[in-house]
Amino acid sequence: MAETRVPAERRYQAEIEALRNGDGGERPPGWALTPRAVVAYVLGTDVPVGGVTITPKYVGDRALVEVAVATLASDRALLLAGEPGTAKSWLSEHLSAAISGTSALVVQGTAGTSEEHVKYGWNYALLLAEGPSPRALVASPILRAMRDGKVARFEEITRTSQEVQDALISILSEKQIAIPELGEVVSAQGGFNVLATANTRDRGVNEMSAALKRRFNFVVVPVVTDLEQEIRIVKKREEELRGDYQVGAPAPDEVARLLVTMFQELRAGVTKDGKTKVKAPGAVLSTAEAISVLFQSGILSRSFGSGTVGPSELARALVGAVAKEGDSDLKAVREYVETVAKGRDGIWKAFGSAARAALKAP
Amino acid sequence: MSVAERVHLFPVRHHSPRASLVLGAMLDRISPEVVLVEGPSDADPLLPMLVHADTAPPIALLAYRTDGVPASSVWPFAAYSPEYVAVRWALAHGRRARFIDVSAAQSLAHDRGRRADDDDGGAGRGGVGSDDEPRGPRGSVWDPVVERSGFRSFDELWEARFEAPEHAEADFREMLRELALSVRGATLLREDGETRARDAIMRAAIERAVEQGAAPEQIVAVLGAAHVAAIVSGDVDPSASELLERTVPTAMTIIPYSFPRLAEQTGYGAGNRAPYYYQRAYDARGDYGRATLEVLVDFTDHLRLRGFSVSLADTLEAYRLACRLAEVRDKSGPGLDEVREASIATLCRGESAHVDGFLWSSVIGRSVGRVAKGLGRGSLQEEFWTTVRAFKLPETDEAIAVSLKLADKTQLSASTFLHRLRVLEIPYATLAGVRTTPGAGAWRGGAGAGGGGRDVERGGFEQLARVREGWQCQWTPATEMALVERIVLGESLRAAAERSLEQRLRERRSVGDAADVLVDAVMTNATGTVALALAACDALAAHDDDLVSLARACRALAGLVSYGSARKELGMDERVLVPLLAKTFARATLRLPVAASVGDADEAKAVGGAMRVLAELATTQAAVVDRDELVEELGDVGRSFGVHPRCAGTAAGLLLLSRWWDDAVLARELSLRLSATSEPGKTAEFLSGFLEVNALAIVKSHDVVAIVDAYLQSLSDEAFRDAVPMLRRALADLGKTERRYLVESVIAVRGHARRGDAREAARLVTAADAAALEAASEDIQKAMDDLDDLL
Repeated sequence: MAETRVPAERRYQAEIEALRNGDGGERPPGWALTPRAVVAYVLGTDVPVGGVTITPKYVGDRALVEVAVATLASDRALLLAGEPGTAKSWLSEHLSAAISGTSALVVQGTAGTSEEHVKYGWNYALLLAEGPSPRALVASPILRAMRDGKVARFEEITRTSQEVQDALISILSEKQIAIPELGEVVSAQGGFNVLATANTRDRGVNEMSAALKRRFNFVVVPVVTDLEQEIRIVKKREEELRGDYQVGAPAPDEVARLLVTMFQELRAGVTKDGKTKVKAPGAVLSTAEAISVLFQSGILSRSFGSGTVGPSELARALVGAVAKEGDSDLKAVREYVETVAKGRDGIWKAFGSAARAALKAP
Repeated sequence: MSVAERVHLFPVRHHSPRASLVLGAMLDRISPEVVLVEGPSDADPLLPMLVHADTAPPIALLAYRTDGVPASSVWPFAAYSPEYVAVRWALAHGRRARFIDVSAAQSLAHDRGRRADDDDGGAGRGGVGSDDEPRGPRGSVWDPVVERSGFRSFDELWEARFEAPEHAEADFREMLRELALSVRGATLLREDGETRARDAIMRAAIERAVEQGAAPEQIVAVLGAAHVAAIVSGDVDPSASELLERTVPTAMTIIPYSFPRLAEQTGYGAGNRAPYYYQRAYDARGDYGRATLEVLVDFTDHLRLRGFSVSLADTLEAYRLACRLAEVRDKSGPGLDEVREASIATLCRGESAHVDGFLWSSVIGRSVGRVAKGLGRGSLQEEFWTTVRAFKLPETDEAIAVSLKLADKTQLSASTFLHRLRVLEIPYATLAGVRTTPGAGAWRGGAGAGGGGRDVERGGFEQLARVREGWQCQWTPATEMALVERIVLGESLRAAAERSLEQRLRERRSVGDAADVLVDAVMTNATGTVALALAACDALAAHDDDLVSLARACRALAGLVSYGSARKELGMDERVLVPLLAKTFARATLRLPVAASVGDADEAKAVGGAMRVLAELATTQAAVVDRDELVEELGDVGRSFGVHPRCAGTAAGLLLLSRWWDDAVLARELSLRLSATSEPGKTAEFLSGFLEVNALAIVKSHDVVAIVDAYLQSLSDEAFRDAVPMLRRALADLGKTERRYLVESVIAVRGHARRGDAREAARLVTAADAAALEAASEDIQKAMDDLDDLL
């Protein structure tokens, strides 16, 4: 049974190997690659390294990745902040895979995250049977990362409660976790660092205490505004998803272009030529949504349609993405379709009528 | 090898700390007899002053034409400019130093330099950096180099490869020469004759130095890298210098310059992007790491002043991140790009907006240089600096607000001084406005409102005691340049201002303009001109037919009348002013009907403005002017159907507002005007003019609203549709408050008024309308759908 989602360190193992062998520079303690090799892994290279083509995992500003890598090599932690769907977690996964060889040391931040998830917990049965012992200890990903000198990931750090966030403060400054029950103190090995992500839309980064903020270097991952760049990203990711899930049909170029153009115009609140104002829906229309819509339309066409992705499939897949926040968003998209889509030629016109039909259903 | 090639040629990029440091070491090593430097050859006499102990960079050589054509050129120097370092070394060691580039007299002849009225600091077409200097932004010549290097900009490439590393002398010269040679091919394609001419001139100068007895090994020539490339490749055509043979009369001086202006010159290749940062690097003997740290500490201060909570720990972290970034990028030291990115990630928590807003001013800096006394500075410059220091006015290149209380004699003198600068168009201070009471709040009638100081017309001595003027002061090198150039007008600011005003007076044709000159003359205490201007007003008032100009003159005169005693030293006798005002006002009143008969909407607006001025004066200067006459004329205009409806509307509004027509009269006139037979377009214009006067008062008056409402209801559907665009325009200028009052008045008029429930009624009104609109829009929608199905 094939796994639907292979973690980065296994999927791109060949690339990481090639980069490791190819780069003779100095590696920070605990790192599998040199900083420059990590940047090359994330951004891709023009020339193959050791015969292996290094594909770009993140398409965007080089300086951003360099700041991230430079931060992770230091004693300061890294916080990737940004709007939803801007590839923060994606980047986090790949950075940790390249640096530590594993992206599995993750703490998922939710309202229910407790200190146990951050420090350590107990196997209560063993605890009661044998008393405190190393066997009974359930180490958190962060503790494990400290022991092994790897990068620990903390997703959605701002969704956790203040107490949990504050537990991190001393970990980040002292780089130690005390386990009083066992009478030991675990110190971080070289190569340990924390890579957190934070969503600026829900509960923003303002919620972090000042003391915690000071332990992090901030990198804002921007929303993609370049049309060609976003089209490239969407198409590439959709292709990967199709491969992973083994379902769906490839979308023709113009469909992808229409989708991304529409998303960018809705996001910006104005058409690309700057002439028509467009009401922006409240729902998040990020790159991730675009990828998902494209993928969905592929599935719709393969399983329920003609096999080729056309405007009607796109329109149907669109409703789900947009209707998240409520009626007003559907209205906004409807307006967009009426004012903008209908006025353009070719596939836009067909999309316009399909969308009107799809969006009209009460 | 030509003679020139045997000399020690040192290629430079202008304002490069590393180049200066390497050059300094080389000069110490070789200890040459002669130092030749790229700079205007007629600046040699100024060399001692340039490197005088009391002179502190940033400064600039300023050359300007003395034959009446306004044109000038600037050659700026920072303390870390290689040319400056070279001449300084030479004079300190008692060696000969010479500038060997084309002279200012020639370059200003050839290419009028920069015109005096250009806004920027005025870099010469060359200045110290010219077409051929390594300057990334403008020359596409450098783009391929930048791309190949993998850096994002030429500045980054320069900092990483040339500035930060501690180059040995031979290395640096070699690398820079290679760089210049690598783009020489592309440069040659775009080269104009001027650059080749300069190559020729400079090489000839080097050869001459050798002929005059100095051994080539004893000569160091400090030239821009591209010129060195030309000489080294033997590609110099001696005859090319003929292009620049013509000269014009010029004079040259040294003026203080500033870091912000130096940063501005980057686009012309004559500056660099962060002078303060480079100054720090130079002071630290080329240690860019240290410069980065100092700049980050300053920036932290900056942020703290603006309320951000950043600590020293953040600063340290920023520094470390900058250094590490440099390592990741294979640079030997952090540069400005690293500073910026590190600041964003640490001090500003990811927000680039703050950094981009404040960092640049922090790394550019605000230093202003100083020129030693005894340069034979122009008398205007001397006077300027003495006065500025005496009154403690701002002296730096940043905008600072100054408030002057005109009741105080000293501050009044300061005001006069600033007005003189304003009249002479010397850029230093702009009038932000005038206020009657102290304290924060908007200034009224400042430069933006187009009134300048003349808006001080809330008359009376009492008022005068409370009048304050607000100015924005900022010294820039342009100030110095203007001070230098205005010498042609006079030896003192007062004399120059008078001369300038008299010139203006001679050129003016209308009484409005003459009155402006009069007011300026008062502001600048120019007694002679005041008398002349008064006479001119008198003469012109009798002949001027333009209402707008006459109204302007009236306003100015009224201001002066009420300005009273503070300016009495000018002999601004009431006995002269008052009759003049009365006369002008009378003439303006007479011109009203004719002026109001214009056809053009914009002209009508101007006439409306004039009418308002007159109406206001009739109230404030009731003792002087003939109010009744004005009321009569306004009445004629308001009633007339021959004038532009907008003017009629304004007249009616003014009459209502000043209570010269009571409500009954107005009601009658309005109904006449609005009776259904008149064209809706014209009526809308009338309403526009009417509302323009004081919309709030008008919408509060139920009678007026009743009449207008009745009119609107009386229109047929077509007529209403035709009138809608213009009505919309007329009512569009109403603000929120006015609209609310209008709705309330309408409701009251129509009798929906339940006690205190106007808002409820308003909602009722709008809800019903909204429903109607929606019904309408659905119809339209249906129509559109049908249309689409057809297509």
